[in-house]
Amino acid sequence: MTALRPALRPARRNWRVRLRRDRSLVLMALPAVLLLLVFNYVPLFGLVTAFQEYDPLSGVSGSAWVGLHQFERLFGDPLFWSAVRNTLYLSFVQLVLFFPVPVALALLLNSVLSDRIRNFIQSVVYLPHFFSWVLAITIFQQMLGGAGVLNQFLRSHDIGTWDVMTNPDTFALLVTSQVIWKEAGWGIIVFLAALAAINTDLYEAAAADGAGRWRRLWHITLPGLRGVIVLMLVLRLGNALTVGFEQFLIQRYAVGHDTADVLDTFAFYYGIATNDYSYGAAAGLFKSIISLLLIWGANKLAHAFGEDGLYRA
Amino acid sequence: MGIELNRRSFLNAAATAAALAAAGPLLSACGGGGAQRAGVNSESGLRAALPAHVPLSSIKPDIASIAGGPDALTDPGFLTYPANRVATVPGVPGKGGRYSAVVPLWGTIPPADNAFYQAMDKALGIRLEMKPADGNTYNTIVSTMTAAKRLPDWITLPSWWNPNFNTGGLAGSQLADLTPFLSGDNVKKYPNLAAIPTAAWRAGAWGDKIYGIPSFSSGFAITGTTFYRRDVLEARGITADQVKSADDLMNLGKELTDAKAGVWAFDDLYTYLYTSFGAPLKWKVDNGKLVHLFQTDEWFEALDWLHRLATAGYVHPDALAGDQAGTTRFYAGKVLIAGGGTGAWNLADHQNGVAANPAYRRGAFDFFTADGKGTPRVDMGPATSIVSYLNANLKPEQVEELLAVANYLAAPFGSAEYTMVNFGVEGTHFTTEGGVPAPTEAGRKEVQAQTYPFLASPAQVISNQTAPNVTKDLAAWQAANVKALAKPVFWGMNVSMPQAQATAEAAQAVMDTVKDCYHGKKKVQDVKDAVATWKGSGGGDRLIAWMDENVLQKHGTGQ
Repeated sequence: MTALRPALRPARRNWRVRLRRDRSLVLMALPAVLLLLVFNYVPLFGLVTAFQEYDPLSGVSGSAWVGLHQFERLFGDPLFWSAVRNTLYLSFVQLVLFFPVPVALALLLNSVLSDRIRNFIQSVVYLPHFFSWVLAITIFQQMLGGAGVLNQFLRSHDIGTWDVMTNPDTFALLVTSQVIWKEAGWGIIVFLAALAAINTDLYEAAAADGAGRWRRLWHITLPGLRGVIVLMLVLRLGNALTVGFEQFLIQRYAVGHDTADVLDTFAFYYGIATNDYSYGAAAGLFKSIISLLLIWGANKLAHAFGEDGLYRA
Repeated sequence: MGIELNRRSFLNAAATAAALAAAGPLLSACGGGGAQRAGVNSESGLRAALPAHVPLSSIKPDIASIAGGPDALTDPGFLTYPANRVATVPGVPGKGGRYSAVVPLWGTIPPADNAFYQAMDKALGIRLEMKPADGNTYNTIVSTMTAAKRLPDWITLPSWWNPNFNTGGLAGSQLADLTPFLSGDNVKKYPNLAAIPTAAWRAGAWGDKIYGIPSFSSGFAITGTTFYRRDVLEARGITADQVKSADDLMNLGKELTDAKAGVWAFDDLYTYLYTSFGAPLKWKVDNGKLVHLFQTDEWFEALDWLHRLATAGYVHPDALAGDQAGTTRFYAGKVLIAGGGTGAWNLADHQNGVAANPAYRRGAFDFFTADGKGTPRVDMGPATSIVSYLNANLKPEQVEELLAVANYLAAPFGSAEYTMVNFGVEGTHFTTEGGVPAPTEAGRKEVQAQTYPFLASPAQVISNQTAPNVTKDLAAWQAANVKALAKPVFWGMNVSMPQAQATAEAAQAVMDTVKDCYHGKKKVQDVKDAVATWKGSGGGDRLIAWMDENVLQKHGTGQ
């Protein structure tokens, strides 16, 4: 420690020098930092309403302080726990069924040699990402719904109908396939970038040594992707309590509220929609705290695997 | 849901989630002082304050209004637009004051300070700065203004906010008391306001005083009814009078549903049908005891019937999937019977329907009792749901000036003033074609998105100038059903509740289960369970006790 002390003084003097040098970068970042402060950090003070019986007419300062009452209500509410269960279950199903898809798709696309075909496929699978959920679900409803193309076909041939859109038991599979259809193409971008970064000499050398396609995939491609995959996994785990909002909002009445409610829709329907703002704030705060713990834990896990993860403390 | 792309967007997402949880409250954090939740009206107290009713006789409708029970009457019908546009306001009402007004608008906001606003300012004799705001987010806009105690001089507050928004708390503190200007014979100074039926003034009355000016009032105020495709059913030889009970309706479901052809008999019916089983709209008093809808057997009967309707396969699958595009299905003939608000029956509906099918004709079943016995009864809603208020900071002479302006805006259908407010300047905003005012491009942009009528307007009339048959159909249906209209308990009493009671009143968990039940996904027993939870931890019992103590015992039923 003592050895470092002499180095501190020049560093301090350097502060001005560095500011002068990076002036334009700092200026460029400033608006974004300000936006973050004004719209993301300042509103954090509103979290105080989670400990109040908040009344919009009285404002924060005029509302009654109720301590942990909202949390007591929350933890005693079976609907809240069912929303937590749904969130975790959907998150798990999506992790298992959705997460590998973009990786596989990226590998597949990477093996296509023709640029034109590759660009074409890429555009087609990207496209649904830019559709809104309303549109995506309408397409599903028009195709697979009770009066949709599939069931009208089955009906006209006197085959029993297939209830896809309103079956609560298979809802997790339905939403996951919707996510795959809409987001898998978009998800491959980052993996394609990582694939492009792998040195092609390695493949040539391995091929010259007689390694087949699978061995090259196993020993070169996948290790090359490992860092990105772990990073994505950390982010996914940290966001485990965020499984989407509009998708569930729209399909809520199709399968029933106790199947479709996730934490975000719970906070919306039982907080904002009924003017019970404090209750919604409590649910939101609970989610934020658990998410923070998850991201911290997942990052530790990544370090244990020898990867950088999200950040190094 | 998908994979977050990079660290920045993750951090953003996490921070946004936290912000979302907190943003709403903070916006109004600058307010202060405990808001008093108050306002319930008592029958005897309010009667002394209500303005006198002096009907106008200058413009005669083609189809006269018919009275039903107390405060229930049909809207008068006009088959053409009156050719002689009588002036009802002599001179210019204003004295040159400057004011601001905020109104909700469901549509495209007209350009600020446009030619129509300028023409209106000239006609009204004041400088009224109109600030229409998006109707869909109107509540968030207004609560920031009330929290900062910076309301405009004149503002519209929809009455469907009443239980949750606490308009009653604003009355007197931020909204001006109009009782001295309007009560009893005082209103006769403003003849067009005096022509608004008395029942409508109740919607803007708080604590037995008059605060609000009602717009779009109607003596036929019901939440909605059960509509059917008259063209399709009549072609099959089915007429409305054949439906006299819930069983008749169920049989019609079997007869009309042809899933192979993509046609189902019904869209959602619940909202406008459950009362025909004898359930109250929300409250009833049984032998002096206050009873909530959720405590009535009739309501569960209705749910059981609706559940059977859905599971029998007579309801369109998209409706069961919660898809809201019922009107489109109705136009396309994919559903033939659907519940809906009575406002749906108008010229635009006729135009849209005819565009889909030239034979299109909307009809509504007469009200019936589910078992087909006894006389049907429908609970009336408040006579208006749009009420405007003046700022408490205005001086008495300013209030008088704005009331004179309101008198201009409330001029009867077909008068010179009504034509100005609703169609603008002839030549600029509309031309007269075959006796009917037709908006020009400028008129569509500046006038047709209604703004001034949200501050004050005459009682509703039925008028679909280019489709007189729609007017005749609707007027005939109203005339046949006006006898069924009756006042529910707490009618027009304007109850504002404490937050906990308002949350219990919304009963989100029960209503969610109800929706699942009439969509065929949950059983009636599930609703019973949800109600049991609601009564306990959901605050239902406390709500009923609160209503009993603070409203029923203190102010009576209001009937």
